[in-house]
Amino acid sequence: MSQWLQQVIDRGQAIDDWLSPVREQALESLRQTNWPNRRVEAWKYTSLVPLEQLTLSSDSTKTSTDIADIEGLNSLDLIFVDGELQSDITAMTLPEGLHISSLRDAADEQKTTAKALFSQIKPQRHLFGLVNDVLAEDGVIIDIDADSHIERPVRITNLSTQGQESHHRVLVRLGNRSSVTVIEQGQGEQASLSTGFAEYDIGEHAQLEHYRMAMHTHKAIHIGGCHFSLQEQARLNSTLVGYGSQLSRVDVDIIHNGEHAKAKFNAIYLLGESEHFDLHSTIEHAVPNGTTEENARGIVGDKAKAVFNGRIHIHRDAQKTLAELNNRNLLLSRRGQINTKPELEIYADDVQCAHGATVAEIEEEALYYLRSRGISRSQALVMLNFGFIQELVNQMPNQALAHWLQPKLQARFAEMEVK
Amino acid sequence: MSEQIDQALSRKYDAGFVSDIESETFPIGLDEDVIQRISAMKGEPEWMLEWRLRAYRSWLTMEEPEWAHVHYPKIDYQAISYYSAPKSMKDKPKSLDEVDPELLRTYEKLGIPLHEQEMLAGVAVDAVFDSVSVVTTFRSKLEEAGVIFCPISEAVHKYPELVKKYLGTVVPRSDNYFAALNSAVFTDGSFVYIPKGVRCPMELSTYFRINEQNTGQFERTLIVADEGSYVSYLEGCTAPQRDENQLHAAVVELVAMDDAQIKYSTVQNWYPGDENGKGGIYNFVTKRGICHTNAKISWTQVETGSAVTWKYPSCILKGDNSVGEFYSVALTRGRQQADTGTKMIHLGKNTKSTIISKGISAGNSNNAYRGLVQMGPKADGARNFTECDSLLIGDRCGAHTFPYIESRNPSAIVEHEATTSKVSDDQLFLCKQRGLDAEKAVSMIVNGFCKEVFRELPMEFAVEAGKLLEISLEGSVG
Amino acid sequence: MLKIQNLHASVEQKHILKGLNLDIKPGEVHAIMGPNGAGKSTLGYILSGREGYEVSEGSVDFQGEDLLEMEIEDRARKGLFLAFQYPVEIPGVSNMEFMKESVNAMREQRGEEPLSAAEFLKKAKEACKQVQLPLDFLKRGVNEGFSGGEKKRNELMQMILLEPTLCILDESDSGLDIDALQVVANGVNSQRDGKRSFIVITHYQRLLDYIEPDHVHILANGKVVKSGDASLAKEVEKEGYAFLGQDNAEEAGA
Repeated sequence: MSQWLQQVIDRGQAIDDWLSPVREQALESLRQTNWPNRRVEAWKYTSLVPLEQLTLSSDSTKTSTDIADIEGLNSLDLIFVDGELQSDITAMTLPEGLHISSLRDAADEQKTTAKALFSQIKPQRHLFGLVNDVLAEDGVIIDIDADSHIERPVRITNLSTQGQESHHRVLVRLGNRSSVTVIEQGQGEQASLSTGFAEYDIGEHAQLEHYRMAMHTHKAIHIGGCHFSLQEQARLNSTLVGYGSQLSRVDVDIIHNGEHAKAKFNAIYLLGESEHFDLHSTIEHAVPNGTTEENARGIVGDKAKAVFNGRIHIHRDAQKTLAELNNRNLLLSRRGQINTKPELEIYADDVQCAHGATVAEIEEEALYYLRSRGISRSQALVMLNFGFIQELVNQMPNQALAHWLQPKLQARFAEMEVK
Repeated sequence: MSEQIDQALSRKYDAGFVSDIESETFPIGLDEDVIQRISAMKGEPEWMLEWRLRAYRSWLTMEEPEWAHVHYPKIDYQAISYYSAPKSMKDKPKSLDEVDPELLRTYEKLGIPLHEQEMLAGVAVDAVFDSVSVVTTFRSKLEEAGVIFCPISEAVHKYPELVKKYLGTVVPRSDNYFAALNSAVFTDGSFVYIPKGVRCPMELSTYFRINEQNTGQFERTLIVADEGSYVSYLEGCTAPQRDENQLHAAVVELVAMDDAQIKYSTVQNWYPGDENGKGGIYNFVTKRGICHTNAKISWTQVETGSAVTWKYPSCILKGDNSVGEFYSVALTRGRQQADTGTKMIHLGKNTKSTIISKGISAGNSNNAYRGLVQMGPKADGARNFTECDSLLIGDRCGAHTFPYIESRNPSAIVEHEATTSKVSDDQLFLCKQRGLDAEKAVSMIVNGFCKEVFRELPMEFAVEAGKLLEISLEGSVG
Repeated sequence: MLKIQNLHASVEQKHILKGLNLDIKPGEVHAIMGPNGAGKSTLGYILSGREGYEVSEGSVDFQGEDLLEMEIEDRARKGLFLAFQYPVEIPGVSNMEFMKESVNAMREQRGEEPLSAAEFLKKAKEACKQVQLPLDFLKRGVNEGFSGGEKKRNELMQMILLEPTLCILDESDSGLDIDALQVVANGVNSQRDGKRSFIVITHYQRLLDYIEPDHVHILANGKVVKSGDASLAKEVEKEGYAFLGQDNAEEAGA
């Protein structure tokens, strides 16, 4: 048992709230867990040393909640600072069919919803998911009534400040045939730890448009995840954007529990300096006739390190599954590093599954084409490199968000060293 | 129709007979005494014994790897005999006429006649039976070309400098659990040295046979191709049908000096166990080659046997412009489990590697590709292309792909693709409608699926491999 | 404008051009015809500066400068334009972004101010209209998912926007139906202003029904084996390349 885990267990045991009974199992699992080293497959390329060395301060000075509006987004904003909800939900006018409550002050009805979701979708194997199970005292419960179409996106932001940790939880239930857009955004630069975990139950014929922006940089450590359960005919369109910090890790699980569901998952990571970003995605097809398409693209410059692990698991009898995963990477620097592992684990024969992964340079032919039109080699490289990412930005269904994100990515890219 | 395929996939194993040969077999168990006795049986020099003991001591500190996608009961390493040799081999036969005729009959039954006049022209064979080499053919002809091809036990005596110089340089003694075990207890295997600039005049081949019960086979092969030389080497293996599992933990080391080329082909047909998973060989093998400047190593394997396979023939592309290739067909059925693939370690500039892996899973088997492509910081302009295809026959089997890609060089290019497909009812229906029986149809589809790999095999082996698959699928569909 | 003398070139150690001569004056249209494998496309690539082509002998003078010494983008900026036979697709980089970057690089070369977004858009729209490409093609990735004909028209649109002095059209007619062919030909003809020169590389004569060449050259086995006026193209149309002689034809085809 590591010291770090022991203190989590000690703190978790001391928490006494309505979730305590559900935390019990996580506490039990944590007691059985060894602190992972590089020989543990899930942490082969990501070291937890920065976390072990993180010193947190006991005095918390919550600064103002400075979250910029996104032009044209018209979002319902739920703002957390260091894992504590700052927004006053009771003061918000919510559209009909949308119910939001804080985890801390949930009404009985919401508690029932929360208990049905809490740790029910997120697989037990995520160590920091268990940590979040044990320590999450705040968070939001979002419940969408059947047949309700929520136009305004719900944007959940967590800011990490110097010396603080945050363990907030997002629980979302989409009733049958409902639809909603949820944006999860995490930010921070200073020495801190955040474990944001979100669980989504997407009902029959329901549609979730989802964004996860892991925009932690520098000293802000983030280890989080989002986990989706798709019921029959459910639709998921999710986009993940990852910056890198000294340690940034996101685990995504997309689980087909109902037939004829469709999931599309795009991921973009753009890393420079000494940033580290690790994305582990798992697609579980537990039932027949599901479709999943995953595209992950990354650009790695300077001394940054990217880790991608994309697993597709087709369970026995999940016949007629269609699952594709594509991971493409550009490495721009001799000191950078890309480690990628697309995995297929297939136990049904009548399926169409494929994955591909590349680490490459810009195509010579494209470079020649641009230069033959008078564009300089260095400018052509910038255009082509960014175009590689731009393709996925263009696929984001929410235009306002895409417009907001684009210059941010561009600025980040401009800071990177292009050879 | 899938059910029909499934049912009938219980195939017969032609090489499953036991030869009635009197053997001298060590009692089961492993300690330093056993290693000393093995070394003494071989009349080894002091340095060799010392090497073995060091390997044994590091093995004791190691743990059996558990990361592979295979499951088997814990092996009791003290329940295995580490040495077994036909009694007739005690006084080394000087010519083929002195070899026990029962031994010769065994190889004939396996389709490997050892009388040179009956053999396929152009293939020299080293026949290894349990722990010893029985006979090596065509030696005089090879000696004319300066090629050394002999049992490694003999090489330790006759060419100690060469063996000392290269043994354990590609697969270090304590490389992994099974390699360490092998280093401690290896009994025989082949040694090949091709001098500078020599193109080996014939295919070299080693045929491994496990016969005795409760024995493990631990052979060690070392091939050194000196500057500008070329050799093609083939390896075949079979074992009798027995209810107990038997351990085979081999090590193969290849050294390709500047401008040299080594082509290493394997048709692995160890006894796979019965349809319920009883018996069969545990095939835990470490194979690795190192390529110096402009050198090329090509691994081709057709894996149809063994209950459990754990095998990753690899290339260390150390020299600039060196080339590594891996072509593999792995067929699993019944309760077989295979976790096989390769590692391509690109260290030099402009190094190139190609990986083509075809996995066929049937019955209740599991078939995994596991590979690593690593681009080092100095591997400017390095290239890799990997293609992994899986074919599933029936809905009770598994096909898995675990490719690791690690790149540290911006000018290196790595491409990996993997797909899965099945033998569809439509394909079978079409073939049947055109008058083919389903069995023939499946065999055709499987052969077509493997074509890219088969064409890398030397002619004689390609035919054998094709037949092997056909037999494997025989009676598979009704 | 362009003077090619005794040009020898190879790609991947294969000797393709074997002493090619060509002299193009301002305002002239030269057609280059020949059997497959004669080296027609190679000529376009070498003139534009594609990597991997090795010039072993000869010289190319472009407006008084040594063309072969220049970088790819400098050749383009000095007015050389190659319309590709198979333009590459570049997803993620929009046609608009691409052309704006390109047009402004040309303007910078000429010492002109870069165009504003609005000015550029206006020009681009006009060019699209001229080659009958829908406007939304400007927003799409460069050539991404375009049909063969759309790609050819996109090349032409670029040519119109960049206002080059020497245009090399590499099989701009291949794979086009008659309507598309006319669009391409009209586009080219609209750019003929007595100063701008053209090299029209084609396997078939039919494009030359619409773009009347001043000179026709037959390229075989790496050099010009016959030159003449427009009537030469008609001759080829009727007789095929058989007149090149068995040896030449075979070698050229190989």
